[in-house]
Amino acid sequence: MSSRRSRQSGASRITDDQIIDLVSKLRQLVPEIQNRRSDKVSASKVLQETCNYIRSLHREVDDLSERLSQLLATIDADSAEAAIIRSLISQ
Amino acid sequence: MINHHCVPDFEMDEDYSFPTSSSAVSRSRKSPLPEEEIVELLWQNGQVVMQSQNQRSIRRSPPPKLEQENDNSNNNHLFMQEDEMAAWLHYPLDEDNFCAQLELLDNNNNMNMSSQSQTTTQTNINPMVRSSQPQPQPPPLRPPIPPSRRSELAESKMSQVPSRQKGYYDDETNKRMAAAVRESSTMVDSNETCDRSKVEMMTCEMTVTSSPGCSSASAEADQKEEAAAGEDRKRKSIEADDADADADAADECHSEDVEFESADAKKRVRGSTSTKRSRAAEVHNLSERRRRDRINEKMKALQELIPRCNKSDKASMLDEAIEYLKSLQLQVQMMSMGYGMVPMMFPGVQQYMPTMGMGIGMGMGMGMGMEMGINRPMFPFPNMLAGSGLPTGAAAHLGPKFPMPAFMPPVPVPDPSRIQSNQSEQMLNSLGAQHPSQSWFPNFTDPYQQYVAPHQMQLPLPQNQAMAQPSTSKPSSSRGPENLDNNQSGT
Repeated sequence: MSSRRSRQSGASRITDDQIIDLVSKLRQLVPEIQNRRSDKVSASKVLQETCNYIRSLHREVDDLSERLSQLLATIDADSAEAAIIRSLISQ
Repeated sequence: MINHHCVPDFEMDEDYSFPTSSSAVSRSRKSPLPEEEIVELLWQNGQVVMQSQNQRSIRRSPPPKLEQENDNSNNNHLFMQEDEMAAWLHYPLDEDNFCAQLELLDNNNNMNMSSQSQTTTQTNINPMVRSSQPQPQPPPLRPPIPPSRRSELAESKMSQVPSRQKGYYDDETNKRMAAAVRESSTMVDSNETCDRSKVEMMTCEMTVTSSPGCSSASAEADQKEEAAAGEDRKRKSIEADDADADADAADECHSEDVEFESADAKKRVRGSTSTKRSRAAEVHNLSERRRRDRINEKMKALQELIPRCNKSDKASMLDEAIEYLKSLQLQVQMMSMGYGMVPMMFPGVQQYMPTMGMGIGMGMGMGMGMEMGINRPMFPFPNMLAGSGLPTGAAAHLGPKFPMPAFMPPVPVPDPSRIQSNQSEQMLNSLGAQHPSQSWFPNFTDPYQQYVAPHQMQLPLPQNQAMAQPSTSKPSSSRGPENLDNNQSGT
């Protein structure tokens, strides 16, 4: 079977073991998948969940940035908090 | 018979029954010529068939014979009036052609064992006419008469038989073809709603002549099956499915034909066994390919989400994805923490700010440290150093916005509790030593900024080690001893 894989994936130059390893790492990071049985989750599913998770994180970052900027307006611009918030937003 | 036709037999004149038969034939052929022309017409039409040696029926213009039938028909009148000698003169011109055509006719006659003279003649005439001269007359004769269609089919078969016998198929096929020819000839007699098996036989073997239409579907399927059976050994690919299906269908079709079964059944059986295996393998390959395509598609989508990902290698791309995901999580934590912190900050915090600076290695730990750092200024008596205390403290201070406990992965963080307990000292020590920056937040953003500005990357390990080492070291931080004391007391 591995021979077949190598023959098929000649162009990608990557073994399935690598992918499995990386996918397992991703699985640990993505909270939704952590709750599931790890041995049953397919690589495709993990990748899909990772993409979704990244998108949700993006949304969250945007949302937080917006709120922080709003907050920044409410406080003294010279304060340390303002600096903190600015740094946060500027990421 | 040929000799009779070729050689001018004058005695044939008396015994010549052509006029009657010819008239019948011509009538069946629906020749456009009038009755009295029948004799000549037939002779004309056949050109060679009914070559009557009668001088009266001698036609004057052999060239017209060679040419369109219409001309010949027109010339019939002339022939009657023509001088016999003149017609005879033209004979030699036709003779070669005539003999050849007769030979062909004879072959056809031999092969075509049709009992019906009419159809035989018709079939004989037509191919000859066609072979010799493409003339419009044959077509008009055929279409209106159903048997003619069958005869046409037979003709084509017969005409093609010699070529087929040349070597396209083995002897068995030739035998089948001969049988088919016989069958076809008999079919001429049979009704037009041809027998399915026979039609299949013919179509399968000939594969050139399409079935007149009575069972074209089955014929096509059989043709396909025939071809599939022949090539089944070679084709073990996607067509294996079709071949196998066709083979199964053909089994029913050719049950009547023993020859077919004997020859094709073996092929089909062997083919189906191998095709089933190959089909399973093919299915597996297809599913594997689909799975891989799905995965590649998801990888591309992931790559698009990751900023500044220029890796073409899947492994490195996944590595970057993992790191980016971690940094994103950290960033969110920071932001949410900061968001929660701001409302709670009070002026006392300023002195502690510039001292914080951590590497990415302490990502989660840093988050927690940040939390602690933030909380400490806010609450001089925080009991957050305890591992268990921190989350509760964080929850208490930051409320539901702080998702850190949920995000905390156990693996990358060596010892969350330990880090938590030591965080204050470690942070103070390391931060004070490394980053006397005005704001410690930018340092916290470094883990993410390393994706934005790689030059700002900090080494995580030294940070870890630096932070891990002074586990018991106390105080000498610019933070303020009372906080440490408080922290220690809280430990």
